[in-house]
Amino acid sequence: MIPLSMAGVGETASIQKITGRDEVRQHLAELGFVVGERVTVVSVLGGSMILSVKDSRVAIDRTMAMRIMV
Amino acid sequence: MPIKIALAGNPNSGKTTMFNDLTGSRQYVGNWPGVTVEKKEGRLKGADDVVIQDLPGIYSLSPYTLEEVVARGYLVNEKPDAILNIVDATNIERNLYLTTQLAELGIPMMIALNMIDVTRKNGDRIDLKKLGGALGCEVIETSALKGEGSRQVAEKAAALGKAHKTVELPHVFTGSVEHAIAHIEDLIEGKVEKRFLRWYAIKLFERDERVLAELNLPDAITKGIEEAVKSCEAEMDDDAESIITNQRYAYINRLVTDCVKKGKARGSLTTSDKIDRVVTNRILALPIFIAVMFVVYYVAVTTIGTIVTDFTNDVFVGEWIQEPARALLEGWNVAPWLVGLVCDGIIAGCGAVLGFVPQMLVLFFMLAILEDVGYMARIAFIMDRIFRKFGLSGKSFIPMLIGSGCGVPGIMASRTIESDRDRKMTIMTTTFIPCGAKLPIIALISGALFGNAGWVATSAYFLGVAAIVISGIMLKKTKPFAGDPSPFVMELPAYHAPSAVNVLRSMWERGWSFIKRAGTVILVSSILIWFAQSYGWETPEATEDEIAAGNEPAAVWCAVENTDNSVLGRVGSVVAPVFKPLGFGDWKPTVATIIGLVAKEEVVNGFGIMYNTDTDDLDTATLLEEGEEEDIIEGLSPIAAGFAETSNGHGKLAAYAFMIFNLLCAPCFAAIGAIKREMNNARWTWFAIGYQCVFAYFIALIVYQLGLAVCGVFSIGTFFGLAALALIVYMLVRPNRYDDKHLTKSVKVSA
Repeated sequence: MIPLSMAGVGETASIQKITGRDEVRQHLAELGFVVGERVTVVSVLGGSMILSVKDSRVAIDRTMAMRIMV
Repeated sequence: MPIKIALAGNPNSGKTTMFNDLTGSRQYVGNWPGVTVEKKEGRLKGADDVVIQDLPGIYSLSPYTLEEVVARGYLVNEKPDAILNIVDATNIERNLYLTTQLAELGIPMMIALNMIDVTRKNGDRIDLKKLGGALGCEVIETSALKGEGSRQVAEKAAALGKAHKTVELPHVFTGSVEHAIAHIEDLIEGKVEKRFLRWYAIKLFERDERVLAELNLPDAITKGIEEAVKSCEAEMDDDAESIITNQRYAYINRLVTDCVKKGKARGSLTTSDKIDRVVTNRILALPIFIAVMFVVYYVAVTTIGTIVTDFTNDVFVGEWIQEPARALLEGWNVAPWLVGLVCDGIIAGCGAVLGFVPQMLVLFFMLAILEDVGYMARIAFIMDRIFRKFGLSGKSFIPMLIGSGCGVPGIMASRTIESDRDRKMTIMTTTFIPCGAKLPIIALISGALFGNAGWVATSAYFLGVAAIVISGIMLKKTKPFAGDPSPFVMELPAYHAPSAVNVLRSMWERGWSFIKRAGTVILVSSILIWFAQSYGWETPEATEDEIAAGNEPAAVWCAVENTDNSVLGRVGSVVAPVFKPLGFGDWKPTVATIIGLVAKEEVVNGFGIMYNTDTDDLDTATLLEEGEEEDIIEGLSPIAAGFAETSNGHGKLAAYAFMIFNLLCAPCFAAIGAIKREMNNARWTWFAIGYQCVFAYFIALIVYQLGLAVCGVFSIGTFFGLAALALIVYMLVRPNRYDDKHLTKSVKVSA
């Protein structure tokens, strides 16, 4: 398992685990970040990422990307 | 009783477009009680007995954001007759997450499968019957942008609401989870309204704090619930909330596999993604952003903007309203003071404000396009990295962009920021960016003392940005603002062509919020200012008799010859010493500053009257806009002389300090009103205004006093200037006592 922040542009990975406070995890889950889901990295800008998950695009910052393990 | 329909859906699902489409202009906009979340309500076009309540865009009915709390509070407590649920068909899995939660409420529901035109183009095929059958409601394909199906789905929802049928709930949960929820249902039966039984049971399973507090169940039941949840958690090896989330997604997954045939393979890059590759690219993101901003402001300020502004000022207000009104009133033999009040007070005052409207509308039009296309969300993403360094989020940048037109809609735009801390700080700092109405002040100072040098205006914007950065860093180290910045998570809408209706509506809403103030707050204040400036106690010239008798005539209340003697002038004289350390301790600039609190654009008119720089055929504001460079310098020389006098010959420094103070101090009354509404708290409002004024005073003091020192003039003021500078530097560099990392570090050391 590595944090999603290590993935490069264009890579697709399957979410293994999401760490962090319940609230943050729940919010990520509502946006489609759940274990087993596949995410594609659309763009990376200084550690922040644009991800494609469940047919929508979500921008997250580096701290959040560190919490998603793939 | 009208039929109440609640419009619910994810952000970016086209909910607003559909709401506008269904209700047209028959909308009522307000706030949800006690919070600054926008509440929109409207009647269905052509059906007066149907009220549509637009709920905030939400991803779920959990209690974590203000929007979610508001939405579920409305659904459970206000009991709408039907729900109209908008599902973005291009992103059906994520959207159905909220749908399953809405379905569990047991309220009759219609699903509008929106953006269907896009999915058709992609070649997706969705089985509406199967989907609706599983969720216990009817599904209708819509395209809000093209007006397809909206009407039909709303009418069906209204019919459902009238019928009052009981609803069959979807079977989302399986195995031991369903078992546990059914057990909780048994436990709380009779304690809650029957149709919400399942909703409450699920929320209790999730240990939703708000529901627990609301129901206040007897200990025996709470214990029973906890046991059921615990055993289920042990069995599934997960926490209750995640169990529910996972089962929901599993259910949706089965449903989607069953009902949806995708045209394109999942995970392939869309056109929107390809644009993002370029626009948010590591190297190209900033240059593209700067180019876009340049185009927006170039068009808004120099080209179209100026043309329409000149037209409004000179032709519309001047020739079409002010002069005919004067002629009309004089024709009626109305008392001169009343003509003065109406023409010079009210019309000129409001006209000066309205003159900004066209330029502002052009700016808001451009920004609305950026928003509708989807680029604004990318701006927040690009700027987040930079803004985070001084304690703001990328989302703070959007209010500042809008604030460069007018602070009122700018402050209002801060609503989209979820974190309370970030929002408050954004509200406090947004008005540091020079708004459209502050530009004439800059032009005045630049024209009167700096030979119209362009760097004055440029420096004003840099000053605004610097003030935001400095304030961000300083405030971040104070207790109310301390702590980790809230994580940045933001859904980015797919790029799409702007819709004329959406763009015009957004432009108009922002512009209107400005015009409305011009018609209310600024109207009343213009009257008061005109009055205070024209009347006062003045000593009439002594008559021959009185001179012969050696009597001084007594001062009488009258329309004053000298503004010096007016009420405003006298107030100015009293307050003036406060500004002495800033180099403009005279009543005239003081009065101008007070006027600026009403409306910044009035400062120039105030200068015109007080320094007599208005001539018969050219007032000061027009001179600044249209005059030749030499004429401006020549015409404004009394102002330059005035500043030179108050500062013993250092007029430039004093005038620059004046400009700094006026740009950074409390904004106009209209913007203060907006701060009050958005803060929703009197103490915070006062804190914001107080901070702005003190900060402005400090910066102006530092610039003026240290500027004097550089010129070789030292006084006690130099000391205060240095002290102010030292204080700000200290506030900037001191360690953050409330920083989590700092705390953990010291713990480690002591361990």
